[in-house]
Amino acid sequence: MNRFVERHRSILDFALSSLLRRKGKNISLWVVYTLIVFLIAAIVFYTHALKREAAMILQGAPDIVVQKMVAGRQDLVPVGYVGKIAAIRGVGAVRPRLWGYYYDAVTGANYTLMAPDGSLPGPGTADIGSGVARTLRVVEGDFLPIRAVDGVPTLFQVRKVLPYASELATSDLILLSEDDLRALFAFPRGFATDLAVTVENPAERATVAAKIAAQFPESRPILNSEILRTYDSIFDWRGGMMVVMLGVAVFSFVIFAWDKATGLSAEERREIGILKSVGWETGDVLLLKFWEGAAISLAAFLCGVILAYVQVFFFSASLFEPALKGWAVLYPRFKLVPDVDPYQLAVLFFLTVVPYTVATIIPSWRAATVDPDAAMRS
Amino acid sequence: MTLHPAVLALLVASLLTGGMVLYAGWYGARILLQWEIGSGSERQLELERRTYLISTLLSVAFVLQILSLFLYVFTADRLHGMFSGAMCAAGTLNVNGFGYPVLLLKIVTFLLAGLWLVVNHADTRGYDYPLIKPKYALLLVLGPLVLVEGYLQYRYFAGLHPDVITSCCGSLFGQGQKGIGGDLAALPAGPMEGAFYGGMAATIACGLRFRRTGRGGYLFSAASTTTFVVAVGSILSFICLYIYELPTHHCPFCILQKEYGYVGYVLYIALFGGGVAGMGVGVLMPFRGRASMARVVPALQHRLVAATLVLYLLFTLVVSYRMLFSSFRMTAGPTP
Amino acid sequence: MIALHDVTKSFHPGKENQFTAVRNVGLTIAPGRLTVLKGPSGSGKTTLLTLIGCMARPTSGRIVLSGGGIAGFPGGEEIRELEITSLPERFLAGIRRATFGFIFQHFNLLRGISVLENVMLPAYPTGERHGEIRRRAAELLTVFDVARHAHARVDRLSGGEAQRVAIARALINRPSVIVADEPTAHLDTDLSRGFMEIVGSFKSDGKTVLIASHDPIVCDSSRVDTVVEMRDGRILRSGSTP
Repeated sequence: MNRFVERHRSILDFALSSLLRRKGKNISLWVVYTLIVFLIAAIVFYTHALKREAAMILQGAPDIVVQKMVAGRQDLVPVGYVGKIAAIRGVGAVRPRLWGYYYDAVTGANYTLMAPDGSLPGPGTADIGSGVARTLRVVEGDFLPIRAVDGVPTLFQVRKVLPYASELATSDLILLSEDDLRALFAFPRGFATDLAVTVENPAERATVAAKIAAQFPESRPILNSEILRTYDSIFDWRGGMMVVMLGVAVFSFVIFAWDKATGLSAEERREIGILKSVGWETGDVLLLKFWEGAAISLAAFLCGVILAYVQVFFFSASLFEPALKGWAVLYPRFKLVPDVDPYQLAVLFFLTVVPYTVATIIPSWRAATVDPDAAMRS
Repeated sequence: MTLHPAVLALLVASLLTGGMVLYAGWYGARILLQWEIGSGSERQLELERRTYLISTLLSVAFVLQILSLFLYVFTADRLHGMFSGAMCAAGTLNVNGFGYPVLLLKIVTFLLAGLWLVVNHADTRGYDYPLIKPKYALLLVLGPLVLVEGYLQYRYFAGLHPDVITSCCGSLFGQGQKGIGGDLAALPAGPMEGAFYGGMAATIACGLRFRRTGRGGYLFSAASTTTFVVAVGSILSFICLYIYELPTHHCPFCILQKEYGYVGYVLYIALFGGGVAGMGVGVLMPFRGRASMARVVPALQHRLVAATLVLYLLFTLVVSYRMLFSSFRMTAGPTP
Repeated sequence: MIALHDVTKSFHPGKENQFTAVRNVGLTIAPGRLTVLKGPSGSGKTTLLTLIGCMARPTSGRIVLSGGGIAGFPGGEEIRELEITSLPERFLAGIRRATFGFIFQHFNLLRGISVLENVMLPAYPTGERHGEIRRRAAELLTVFDVARHAHARVDRLSGGEAQRVAIARALINRPSVIVADEPTAHLDTDLSRGFMEIVGSFKSDGKTVLIASHDPIVCDSSRVDTVVEMRDGRILRSGSTP
């Protein structure tokens, strides 16, 4: 056992000094390697963090949302459904929700207008999300014009800007009183946008949704879990698309690494010839090459992962945002919660270190099978 | 198909492994046909040089195969959210007909790959390459298995379509589908407990006897392999119940999750490692007699037996600990 | 003792540049003696050295090592006689590391590392403790009076110093046979004589020495026990010096 460890230790020692002896070549390899790891790690971390954010946000969303469909498109839902749905066994509460989209031509942004439960905000006032405040450049106390369906703008005084901490959920939100909202959208009384249904027991949710769909064939009940699944899918798909596109980069890197490994300088060839002639056998030289590769891989992997971590969690992945978050005028600003687990690192390892290692096997073997007597005859 | 980065990683790994195995197989066939150890011709020297390359390629390929088994299970677990009704990896693997066959093939190739590495290790220590023919014969079996598994894995992932909201239907996926995860077939717990502990004891006894007297290698290998199978069945049958503290949860994948302290990893690594080592002892037995292997094989077998005993003991201790300290108790009586 | 039976070494057989370096050579190297291979360049001296020194395999013929135990071979302590003709490279290298120390014509020292590390290199694959190797290397450097250059780069050494470092490196694994290929080719007369004195000390340590050279200082030295004359890959005559 001891011999085994000592042999590895000695050869590792020599491998490190070998790498340092050819700084130019090895530093350029390390830089490119780190870049590749960084790119893929950033995508993996970002996708994962976005999925987590979505999951956390959706925790507060209703278990089932019931919409009414007319000719395959969403229509207003009669409030009369509430009583009948509440009567279904397993349903905790049913709440009609009143909300809609508002397109502001001036800024080109879409806002969500909503009337929350309770008496606030009062008539003529509005609470706005921080994204809205940023886009329209308004603060508390300012006046906000909103056009009604007849084209006439109504002024609302901004009572409050919603806290930054809830950015992800409230960024594009404008909260108004129910009467104001109905007036703006010409929402008829007795109708709501959709119904929020609470079902305590998770195992019952699918059954309840099926019953709602059976009782009201024109309705579309949507489970919270399905929304989450769809978001997961989208983020995964987007992340995967970017990784596939980066596949070209990884492939180029692999060729680059292969080229570096094959292109032994005359000095390197001489060195290996000498090693073989003083008593190193092919297996020892292969071990040397393996440790060289492992050292570079470790250095590049660590640096790439750390850089990606910093980029995604401190700089909010500014490089990748557009591709991964989608296109819109109004974005919530939020800092992602750092969450890296060994699984993500394992995936990264498979996508970066493994192709590199495989690419360098044959060049390492070619280098290691130099005949020992070549040194004698040179 | 879902483009999750982990899926891409697994597909890339299986492509690389397949490529390496094909290359190695091609040269392996040449070696089988043209090998003449006594000759000093250039062709023989070239073949000997090439065995280094093939050994390296296959060692990397098989380590990759072993790692990808764990990554596969873990990925299936992570993806369970995408399929309504799937509670864990068991559900994900059930989505189409390829999931479980791929898992089975991965386990089989894992075991065979481990065996190949053991035989290779012994062969390189012999001064006349004594095991070169059996080694490449094993490769001719293992190679196609790896390629088939890679293809089936691709078919599995290509057939995974997440249940997402479509424009008209909402929640009707969940209807009529029961929880897939929990209902895996399981053998009755009582007899399995007996078989499990009995098997472990037999293996340990045979192993100690082999180490002391050098006899009974085949017996030890048979005992350890049988115990391996029994232990896998035991995980399904009763070990899981104690860990989950539920009488109906038989899923072998959930124990890999964080809630249970990742105990699944310890159990599976110990069990599979011990299983391969035990099988390795049996595989090496026919070669004890060869001159160049006379010192090498017994020493290697000793170490393999020690590995099996240590790992199986670890497995048994962890299982027994969980059984003793679990708040779950199985009582005799009519099954509900 | 090293015995060669009808050994031939050809390169690139069957091709245009086929070349037979050594033809049907039969030779016995006696232990504890100084044997000199004498002949012009191209006579096959260097190739014969590589065959004897376990660096290459003969195309045909047999090479047998015998004596009290074979160092570097598993179980070698109990073996009286071992044919090494068709041993795999791993085993050949093991024997070579433990039994032979090579001194090359151009010294063949690694340029980017220190003198001390150069001397330690052949011992790395043996799995000995790193500290132990370093200690032995430092000791050898002291014996050959180059200890003051231990951490210097190899390029700064004079010819004589470089050769002594090469000799120290050859001795790191405590070999019983020293093989030298044209050792005095780049040395002046004084240094050449100095080299032969070192060879004398090898002999008194009981080592076997094998030198390929056509330098009279080497061939005509009184320390030489056997001279083997070669030409065109064959042995012309071999005999003990009177």
